[in-house]
Amino acid sequence: MKAWAQKRGIPYFLLLPGLAWLTIFFVLPMIFMFTVSLYEGSLDTTYEFTWHWANYSDALSQFDTQFVRSFLYAGIATMLCLLIAYPLSYAIAFKAGRWQSVLLLAVIAPFFTTYLIRTYAWQTILSNDGVVVDFFQSIGILNSDQYLLKTPAAVIAGLTYNFLPFMILPIYASLEQMDQRLIEAARDLYSSSRTAFLKVTLPISAPGVFAGVLLTFIPAVGDYVNASFLGSSQQAMIGNVIQGAFLRTKDYQIASALSFILMAMIVVAVFVYIRFAGSESLMGDEEATT
Amino acid sequence: MGSRTSKRLITALAMLVASLALAACSDLGAGGLDGPVQTAQANGKATGDITISNWPAYIDKNTVPEFEEESGLSVEYIEDVNDNNEIFSKLQPTLANGDPAGRSMVVVTDWMAKKMYDLGYLQNFDKNAIPEVNKNMLPSLQHPSFDPERQFSAPWQSGMTGLVVNTAEAPDVKSINDLFDPQYHGRVTVLSEMRDTVPLVMKASGIEDPSKAPAEDWLAAIDKLSGAIESGQIVGVVGNSYINDMARGDVVAAIGWSGDAVQLQADNPDIQFVMPEQGCIIWSDNMVIPVGAPNPEAAYAFMNYVYTPQNQAQIAIYNNYTTPVTGVKPILEKTDPELAKSQLIFPSEKYQENCSPQPDPPKLQTAEIERAFEALQTGG
Repeated sequence: MKAWAQKRGIPYFLLLPGLAWLTIFFVLPMIFMFTVSLYEGSLDTTYEFTWHWANYSDALSQFDTQFVRSFLYAGIATMLCLLIAYPLSYAIAFKAGRWQSVLLLAVIAPFFTTYLIRTYAWQTILSNDGVVVDFFQSIGILNSDQYLLKTPAAVIAGLTYNFLPFMILPIYASLEQMDQRLIEAARDLYSSSRTAFLKVTLPISAPGVFAGVLLTFIPAVGDYVNASFLGSSQQAMIGNVIQGAFLRTKDYQIASALSFILMAMIVVAVFVYIRFAGSESLMGDEEATT
Repeated sequence: MGSRTSKRLITALAMLVASLALAACSDLGAGGLDGPVQTAQANGKATGDITISNWPAYIDKNTVPEFEEESGLSVEYIEDVNDNNEIFSKLQPTLANGDPAGRSMVVVTDWMAKKMYDLGYLQNFDKNAIPEVNKNMLPSLQHPSFDPERQFSAPWQSGMTGLVVNTAEAPDVKSINDLFDPQYHGRVTVLSEMRDTVPLVMKASGIEDPSKAPAEDWLAAIDKLSGAIESGQIVGVVGNSYINDMARGDVVAAIGWSGDAVQLQADNPDIQFVMPEQGCIIWSDNMVIPVGAPNPEAAYAFMNYVYTPQNQAQIAIYNNYTTPVTGVKPILEKTDPELAKSQLIFPSEKYQENCSPQPDPPKLQTAEIERAFEALQTGG
């Protein structure tokens, strides 16, 4: 009996707290929100559950611009994060030496401040009278009456800044555990530095890049803080629309429908990405020819 | 598909159907409370503690501690009212069950007080418990259209919505229409308080009495704002945060509230409240007692305290909003004669001759108008 219990019972027992948490704080709210999305009515006329699927089509057609905009901004921000994070992670992992801990601390230190305050600080950084705008105006990228705040550039800059650590750390982690002797081996086989990087380092860091992209893109799509602080209504993302629907117009059913549509879109986007990144087409073809 | 997958699918589907059935039976913050409005009876002296929700930067540092000392009550003063709609959304789910989430007093603007009252979320005052309020309330505030006998509301402060202008950068802004002037492109904001912004735009288009305007006028004004936002003329439909934008100098002219201009002068002495040519919008933020309030006696004690002229004078000096209490002007004439002349704290009839009280949109089209205005904020 004891042996049987140890084999079968304990794993499930250990899972129980996690499952309970997931059920109470994720599954049940999701289900509740799904039912809310099928309601009809308003606070004045009372709400009624009427399987009102039209909420989904209404929400999608009314806010298609904001959906596209959210994916666009998040996509650009993710790309920028990747471009900035990869060289930085590489440098921290291989070139930092005794500065490694300090650099890592510098990456994490901004998180000691709350997200809102960090984004708020960007209002001052990108302010019309600030150093950044002055600089861009002086070198001619901006005209004297053009500014950075309340533009898509500001929102994307905010998104990139806020999610950069989520890209740096996974890539750093996967690079750091790479065995340096693999590079040595590649050199021994007459590869150049460039080839060694492309064929050894890059594929080994692929899981880190993969994780970083997901950790950056998924929260960025639903973000509303950056668009709220750094953009005007013309830069409103789908997160802002949902916030307004919940807090201001109290269209709970539209807000819930929007949330589910957003979730579905993100799931589709992630599946496409997994297919693309998971397939060997990028990294494996070269191996096939050797 | 394998039997394991189909078994999982069936289980998932069954769970979904079961929970949908369960959830369909539940209520979604179903509207308001029925039944007659109760009066919050005062039973003897106030004791214990009280939680008050108010707007930020609306009281000086000393009033609450001094009130605590005098009354022996313990006050938790929360500044969590940033927007009428947001505090409503925050409290509505529990208010629908008669529970004000610990608060015995909330301060909301006229129209929100009326909305909450109509939904049954407020209690009537026990007038015998608030002699100072009855005695000292400004006559012009005693019979507002939304609460003619002041049954459920007592003004905390009154104020004016008009133009807040950086007179060094935008010296020529004297009317709401000047906000649409291309020379201020990208440096103008308007308020997210619909009942301030839209009536001001309507007044600037020649509609003298916004409270009688039909829905078309509201929607036309929202349309005009929409065009300006799309072109980038107006860069924000914001709440309190316009203060930060103006302090940094990113915004030079905005629709804003009278008291804020004085607070901004500490950052930049050029910033002033400018009475628009076509007049301002006058409103009050009111102290209300929600249904199920834990300590109405303490709420009445607080109301009596702030309606006593000496105590009110202290608040008025800090706030620079219109004080709703008579007898404050003589006090300020002795202690702060400059402030005693302030048109913001003691506006003369001449100063406010073109001003209108804050209107509500026509009841039947309110939802449509609110949605149109919301679209300004999210570009949708």
